[in-house]
Amino acid sequence: MDSVHHDANPLFTAVSGPVRHLFQLLRCIAFATKAQVRITPEGIRFTVEESRVVQGVAFLEKSLFTSYNYAPPTSSQTDDTAVFQISLAALLETLQILLVNEIKDRWASRDPAYGGMMGALGRGGRPAAFGNRVLGMPGVCRLSYAAKGEPLCVVLEEGGVTTSCEMVTYEPEDQEEIPFQRDALTLKIIMRSTWLHDAVNELSSTSPSRLTMAASPSAPYLVLSSKGPLGSAAVEFSKDQQLLETFQVPKRTVNTYKYSLIKAATRAMSLASKVCIRGDEQGVLSLQFMIEVEDVGVHFIDFRFVPFLPEEGEDDLESDDEMS
Amino acid sequence: MPILSFSLNLDGVIRIHNAVQCLAKFSDTVSLEARSDRLTMSTLNSSKSAYASFALDSSTYFETYRYNDARLSDQSQEGPSRFTCQLYNKALSSVFKGRLGDMREKETAAERCEVAIQDDIDNTECRIVVKMICKHGVTKTYKLNYESTEIKHALFDRNSAKNKWRIDASVLRSFLEYFGTATEQLDMYAEDGRIAFTSYTEKVMHGREILKHPLETSVALDTLDFEEFSVEEKMHVAFSVKDFRAIVLHAETLKTNVQAYYSLPTKPIQLTYNENGVNCEFTLMTIGDYPGSSTKPAPISVRGSSATPTGGRPSRQASLQPTQSNTIRGVEEKQREAMPPPSQPASRSFPRAPQSQSGPGSFRPESLSQRTSRPSPPPPKASLDPESLFLPAEDDDRQWDETNYEDEEDILGWDASGNHKASALQKLQTAPEEASRYESLPAWPEDSDRRIAPTQRLAEIETLFSQG
Repeated sequence: MDSVHHDANPLFTAVSGPVRHLFQLLRCIAFATKAQVRITPEGIRFTVEESRVVQGVAFLEKSLFTSYNYAPPTSSQTDDTAVFQISLAALLETLQILLVNEIKDRWASRDPAYGGMMGALGRGGRPAAFGNRVLGMPGVCRLSYAAKGEPLCVVLEEGGVTTSCEMVTYEPEDQEEIPFQRDALTLKIIMRSTWLHDAVNELSSTSPSRLTMAASPSAPYLVLSSKGPLGSAAVEFSKDQQLLETFQVPKRTVNTYKYSLIKAATRAMSLASKVCIRGDEQGVLSLQFMIEVEDVGVHFIDFRFVPFLPEEGEDDLESDDEMS
Repeated sequence: MPILSFSLNLDGVIRIHNAVQCLAKFSDTVSLEARSDRLTMSTLNSSKSAYASFALDSSTYFETYRYNDARLSDQSQEGPSRFTCQLYNKALSSVFKGRLGDMREKETAAERCEVAIQDDIDNTECRIVVKMICKHGVTKTYKLNYESTEIKHALFDRNSAKNKWRIDASVLRSFLEYFGTATEQLDMYAEDGRIAFTSYTEKVMHGREILKHPLETSVALDTLDFEEFSVEEKMHVAFSVKDFRAIVLHAETLKTNVQAYYSLPTKPIQLTYNENGVNCEFTLMTIGDYPGSSTKPAPISVRGSSATPTGGRPSRQASLQPTQSNTIRGVEEKQREAMPPPSQPASRSFPRAPQSQSGPGSFRPESLSQRTSRPSPPPPKASLDPESLFLPAEDDDRQWDETNYEDEEDILGWDASGNHKASALQKLQTAPEEASRYESLPAWPEDSDRRIAPTQRLAEIETLFSQG
């Protein structure tokens, strides 16, 4: 590994805290293989997109790392020195090397509080008596990126075992964000993410290709619906304070999205505690997931979806009742 | 006005889920039959060798149950009014999910369920509408498509079933796991105060290659373990292990006693249990043979049918004709292994045999007694066996051709008639009137009574060429 370390200061080095935080956050957006990475002084931003209609962004804040050094060359005034693409699948697999051991520690502790992987993100139970975490040797992950065009080095250290991986970086793509007009919101709903997750899963029963989201200021307030060969399904939410924490819908809006793309966000849905659903005038849907990370605070995963163009007569599903 | 509407509590939803899961192990469709006093979910498997039904009692199972048949006037002469339909099991099982998962699921679990079946001639959209009402006013509404169809129930005469036993489902469950997953048949044999349940697979050879290894697991129970036991001794009766497993697993969820009724091998066996307003009935076809040593003489027909001379466990090898080519035999054997013999041999009549006894078979096990003898596995007719993977060469090419849409209509008609055993074979069959339509065109000269029409009309071929 020494061969790749340049004598000059590398552009970026960081030492992570618990690896599983990185892993869990990155896994939320792993719906495509390649991710665009942008290193900034505040943190690392991973962007994944598919067909320019869905975009997932995970921002790994500085606070997730125990040390974080980003030294952009003062000479360059542009901000794209530390932008590159990387295989997200490969990165996740690498991080998993450390996780495997961690899970083994878990099982050793035989703590019934752990419901398998469900415990992976919190309620941190008691580790094994001589587990690495107790002995002050948790798995550590060092990331470094020497310069533009160099590989991203991931060095995993645990209990005296060092694993180093070099990951090829690719030329960045010109990535335009899916435009989202924050000043022209047509709906803003904050709710528990479990409910959204459940609703999206519920709709999968019809093996749909599209998901329709209808929000309106009067009942029915929020309806997710889909249609498939076996029938149709709709999940309707009432305006219960327990259910929809925030509900700002000035007028009725109906938009349709590709179901399989919404499905890409289900991992984030299941992990997050809350979700903020926003839609703008053009129907672009923004889902912002709040994920609580133990000891560190909250982190956000963003998804944006481009809607189908509205078609005549497909306005809404629930008006079928009146028609029939 | 819905023809049927009912509501359930969470417990009712879960029990429907269990029933639907059990039905899924038999077939991928579910038939519903609604009457004023009960709702029946049933299914018949594709080889028509197993039938499962769950009858939910209207007064005890449901919170509310209203059956309201507006069509009563048209149907009054047909006895009690009923509504029947069929839908995919997948659709039902995705609606009635087991919602008892972990804590996260509990929060979103349904509290109540309301179902309405809208079926009206004037209605543009007939659907089964299921509403799941959850906490905090979340409502999940499903509208399921269904096919309106007549459904078939297995008939079983308990009076003629002399053998019966009853046992706690958990006892059956406890020895279920000893039966290897690869085994196919389960044989019951009672002798000297014990009954042995033996799961077995027979060896299947293809040339020198062993396709299936023989495997046998036997569990013997003392007849005292049974709540009730009255079974003729020294008689082998065998049926599908897979079906038995599905039944026992479901019976165990109800923690109840399973009652079995059967008479003779090659006649159906019925397993049944009743709990909290659910009446479950399973009718399975059996194979096996009747021992010569028995005190009661078997009916001639059945005895003649049991071809195995040894009196041991039914062996299918014995009935195989040695003249057939190895290829066919391997396939034949495998197919037969996979399922008990259908209630009617070669139930789909093949066009070559116009005198063949019956059309697409309705499952009426008792009709077997009128029929003349039949070897428990029917002797394979390799070149003509409709079940065979290898179809005769001259039949074969038609199924690969472009669909002839006029023919297609005929095939769809068959499907609607409830014979959902749509196989490639049906496409090969030619309806008589269709054949006459093509009469002017050349038929197979050497085999004119088979009446396989040419695959395409000459006119179509011409247009194809002219386009090219």
